[in-house]
Amino acid sequence: MKNFVYYRPSTAKDAVALLADRWGSTELLAGGTDLLDLQKEYVAQPEKVISLSGLGKDFREIKAIPPPGTQPMPVTIGAGATLDEIAEHPMLKRAYPALTTAAGMVGGPQIRNMGTLGGNLGQRNRCWYFRDEHVNCLIKGGKHCFALDGENRYHAIFTQGHKCVIVNPSTLAPVLIALNASVEVLGPKGKRTVELAKFFKAPAGPNEREHVLAPDELILSVSFAGKVPGQLWRFGSASYEVRHKQSYDWPLVQAAVAIPHLDGKVQDVRIVLGHVAPTPIVAERAAKMLDGQEITEATAAAAGETAAEGAKPLSQNGYKVKLVAVAVKRALLTAAGHKKYWEA
Amino acid sequence: VGVCGVQVAEVRVDTETGVVRVTRVVAVQDCGLIVDKLTCDSQVAGGVVMGVNYALFEERIMDRHTGRQVNPDMEFYKLGGLKDMPKIDVHLVDMPERGVIGVGEPPTISTHVAIGNAIFNALGVRVSQTPFTPERVLAALAGRGGKGS
Repeated sequence: MKNFVYYRPSTAKDAVALLADRWGSTELLAGGTDLLDLQKEYVAQPEKVISLSGLGKDFREIKAIPPPGTQPMPVTIGAGATLDEIAEHPMLKRAYPALTTAAGMVGGPQIRNMGTLGGNLGQRNRCWYFRDEHVNCLIKGGKHCFALDGENRYHAIFTQGHKCVIVNPSTLAPVLIALNASVEVLGPKGKRTVELAKFFKAPAGPNEREHVLAPDELILSVSFAGKVPGQLWRFGSASYEVRHKQSYDWPLVQAAVAIPHLDGKVQDVRIVLGHVAPTPIVAERAAKMLDGQEITEATAAAAGETAAEGAKPLSQNGYKVKLVAVAVKRALLTAAGHKKYWEA
Repeated sequence: VGVCGVQVAEVRVDTETGVVRVTRVVAVQDCGLIVDKLTCDSQVAGGVVMGVNYALFEERIMDRHTGRQVNPDMEFYKLGGLKDMPKIDVHLVDMPERGVIGVGEPPTISTHVAIGNAIFNALGVRVSQTPFTPERVLAALAGRGGKGS
């Protein structure tokens, strides 16, 4: 690990003031589960590391209190909230099980105790070429994506238009996008709000990250609300990950779904895919075809097939196309409260 | 002095995702003279754990262009955790008249073979390459011999 200067500001404003306006020379440290790895591998070599552990209670607070009557429950989660705090939050568990399930499946207990919401959204990708200090890949300034014609069994299957074929590693992002969440960001000029669906992008070079934030911006919180008044407890959501290992592994593919009101025929369903492209993917056509339908094994399976359409897998990851269809089907059935036939 | 053992595995195969879970392994191990029963039990259980990893997870992935291993870490060189491990029943065959023989490596040999046979028994097709990853199981089910891409 290269030497660096450590800062521990006590306000978000002071933290932002310490950030440089180009990527690489300064890094934010929250749980450290990603940054420290990158530093140990010499992939990240910041001169300044700015710890967020001194920021106030607001930065890690989870606000999820059902309002009186039948209003939707607004939720705001501070970027510093740990994955374990999210996974174990009783009100979130009841209202938005997709989110708590996804948070509870990240890494192992140590990762969830340290890792934060902000870090989960802002983390770097897991491509093994990117993470190898000795490989100068496209997004480290090289001329070539080594995964394109190399070892790519875990890489993107929706590859059209992408020179770098990473998958976005966040499993909370697809869920939060399905919940129509937005991110509050602090920069040198003040706060701004970004829709999470527009938060991620495919990096194409060393001066870009997996998201649209500027190098001197900091994620403060993520907010969302149940969309339909009066339907809080009729709101269905689920996240399904196809995993090779059941402990401590990345999903091969993930599907997150939200169903605004679970009464017979559904409307305005959201389906978001994770680990299949450089960004989470909103499967709009698949969701649309469920309008006015009941969620059954047949309709869920059809939506899954549609969600997988258009995939353009690489040499070794064609199998993930089938997994997308299965993950979407199972997420929909789970959200709609069906029996999990795959867990007999 | 020879050594032998017999193992039987029970698996659950998700035929939609190709994910294999080993639910139970029974290991009967020829141990010669057992010097310490607890250590011996635990050697055999440890051998089964290693065998489950051979069967399902462990693979050194080499990059064909650079000759570098792309997974030289515990992240993608996969090893099963607690949730991935079966219930393990160990039966030791104590034969003091044979004297002290080895029990460290022998129990690791049969496990992945038993698991491979259990998958064959469940699916009716053979997955021909370890580890039995979701990709290879799906390929075998699709009639492509389980070699993956």
